Amino acid sequence: MKKLVSLALAIAMLLSLVTIASAADQVTINMFISQPEYADAVRALIDAYKEIAPDVTINYETTQNDYPTLLKTKINAGECPDIFSTTSGKEIGVYLEYSYNFADEPAAAAMQDSVRAVMMSGDEVHGFALKSNYFGIVYNKAIFDEVGITEFPTTTDAMIAACEKIAAAGYQPFSTGFAEWWVYKHVFQHFLNAASDNPAELVSKFIAGEAKIKDYPILYDNFFNFLDLAVQYGDAKPLETDLASEESAIGIGKAAMILGQGAWVEADIMNIDPEFQLGFNGYPVSDDPADCKVVSGSDQALRIYKDSKVLSSVLDFVNWWYTSDYGKNWFCDVAGVIPPLKDVKAPDMEVIKQGDALSATVGAGPVSVSYSTDSFHQAFGEILQAYVGGTLTKDEACAQIEQKWVELEGGN
Amino acid sequence: MQKVNRGKLRAVASRETILYTLPALVLVALTIYVPFVLSGYYSLTEWNGIAKEPVFIGFENFKNIFAGNPAFLSALWFTTKYAFFFIILSNIGALTLAVALTRKYRLANTLRGMFFVPYIMSMTIVGFIWKFIFTQGFAKLAEFTGWGIWNLSWLGDANIAFWSVVIVGVWQSLGFYIVLYIAGLQAVPPDVLEAAQIDGANGRQRFFKVILPLLGPSITTCIFMSLTNSLKVFDIILALTKGGPGGATYSATLEIYREAFQNNNYGLGSAKAIIFFVIVLVITQLVLRFFERREVDL
Repeated sequence: MKKLVSLALAIAMLLSLVTIASAADQVTINMFISQPEYADAVRALIDAYKEIAPDVTINYETTQNDYPTLLKTKINAGECPDIFSTTSGKEIGVYLEYSYNFADEPAAAAMQDSVRAVMMSGDEVHGFALKSNYFGIVYNKAIFDEVGITEFPTTTDAMIAACEKIAAAGYQPFSTGFAEWWVYKHVFQHFLNAASDNPAELVSKFIAGEAKIKDYPILYDNFFNFLDLAVQYGDAKPLETDLASEESAIGIGKAAMILGQGAWVEADIMNIDPEFQLGFNGYPVSDDPADCKVVSGSDQALRIYKDSKVLSSVLDFVNWWYTSDYGKNWFCDVAGVIPPLKDVKAPDMEVIKQGDALSATVGAGPVSVSYSTDSFHQAFGEILQAYVGGTLTKDEACAQIEQKWVELEGGN
Repeated sequence: MQKVNRGKLRAVASRETILYTLPALVLVALTIYVPFVLSGYYSLTEWNGIAKEPVFIGFENFKNIFAGNPAFLSALWFTTKYAFFFIILSNIGALTLAVALTRKYRLANTLRGMFFVPYIMSMTIVGFIWKFIFTQGFAKLAEFTGWGIWNLSWLGDANIAFWSVVIVGVWQSLGFYIVLYIAGLQAVPPDVLEAAQIDGANGRQRFFKVILPLLGPSITTCIFMSLTNSLKVFDIILALTKGGPGGATYSATLEIYREAFQNNNYGLGSAKAIIFFVIVLVITQLVLRFFERREVDL
């Protein structure tokens, strides 16, 4: 018995020696990021990198749910992942003491300007993106043709007329997704971009408590009128409609337009109906068709841990991802997303084609959602749900939104 | 000689008692007492849960809450309402069903099993199942029957959503209280019931004058359990409504979670948690005293 025990102990010691020895030339990068929908693509990327750098093991973790809470737990346990996610824009500042400024790396230079703009803290680059994005109204071209609307309604009045026509033909003009808190922020950013030439500055004024929604008719009148219109011509139970019901409503040809969405819904809709004629445009935010713009950029950021023990390996990996041939084509060929890089081929998707065309003609707005954190946006979504549900009036909702901006964002 | 030996034995026994309870004590301390003390500390700080150093601010968080924190107050009010209806509905429902299930008929055992099934399912799964029933299931029922009740926005209307949460909460835990009540009912001595019958008591009198008073310990246990469970309600709401629509269904625990993790106010969230802990402690002690005093012994 004793012999057996000592033998087992000896083997255990030997094994630990071996692992220590091999750890010396093996590097492990811990990567814990959100966006689980790209898990397979990220794994393919990691496998490809393993062939280039066999000594580097990337320990990839993702989660379906509640990413920020898990990240905070890891950080407070002293185990900050070498690569982690936050949202872009305002949250770049919140996690600044953990993230590395890689402005001088090739990866930073390869990034699209619209993407890099929301990753900056002063002159420093503190994030990169897994994808760029387009936000706007996704609509069913076949329904528009059938009821005789030849051009997408780009002004408030044109939209009201279009809704009347669509409803008269027996279709549901909108499916709204108002059960999701993030649908409101996606819609709102289009109005924010039209309300000011410098939406970033406008949001910082709101956060400082120096601006009032009432002073901006595009927000106070047009945005709330648009919500009213969407409720009037939308789902029977607006506060029960989530992303999935929006996708099915438009995919089966019941609804003509869906709100708060963008490039990510195209694949799902095409799965429901491969023949679907997808149209994509901005929101009719005013009487000026020039204000009807799509939004382009990235609202998610990947960050590099500043005090990472394997910092140089992490940078090698990120630079390889953003500059090597495999890495550059990965966005289009493997992940099927809009590349966050300059001059790289994009996947063959309607939202991207129409988004690119619209950006070239009327221009595209910045991702204004990123000027506030999701702490604010969740409160914002709840307040607007209460407005849609009729428990808050417009003025009460505006007062609460202004208060939340100061309360939740002021300190950070 | 004998005396010494006995003393030694006692010393060994007590040493063993300590030794054997130590692992459990350490684990409980690590997972419950230490975090409790830490959140006591965090409640005195301003911390977003991310920064490396929390800033000590004394009792500012508590002052802030007592100065009137509308979100916390409305969450407390929601929790009170929820607890009230949950306790009443689950106890009356469970007692009624327990009485029915202690009768002797063929399906009694199968039915007992069926009522218990929801209790062993995870709360989150129950929440998702009912979310599906409330949205898709009720829509189909509305198509078949044409009744307005199925067409209500069960999760999308602020007032109805409260009842949806209560219904699902009661449905899920009913089986547990049924089991407790059945055990209590079976412990009622048959001779007392027989005596009551001979004295001419009818069915209703037997239930209210004999069985119910003798169920005292079961009722105390069930009320107490349903009280603590309803005050702690969290996962069902998270899965069903996420506190929505428009923040109408935030329970105290969900509100604490939101403050600490969504709003990035870990300090303020901890302070709310401490206050809620004190409230729960006081309420449960009062209720326990009240019911124990009214129990009847044979």
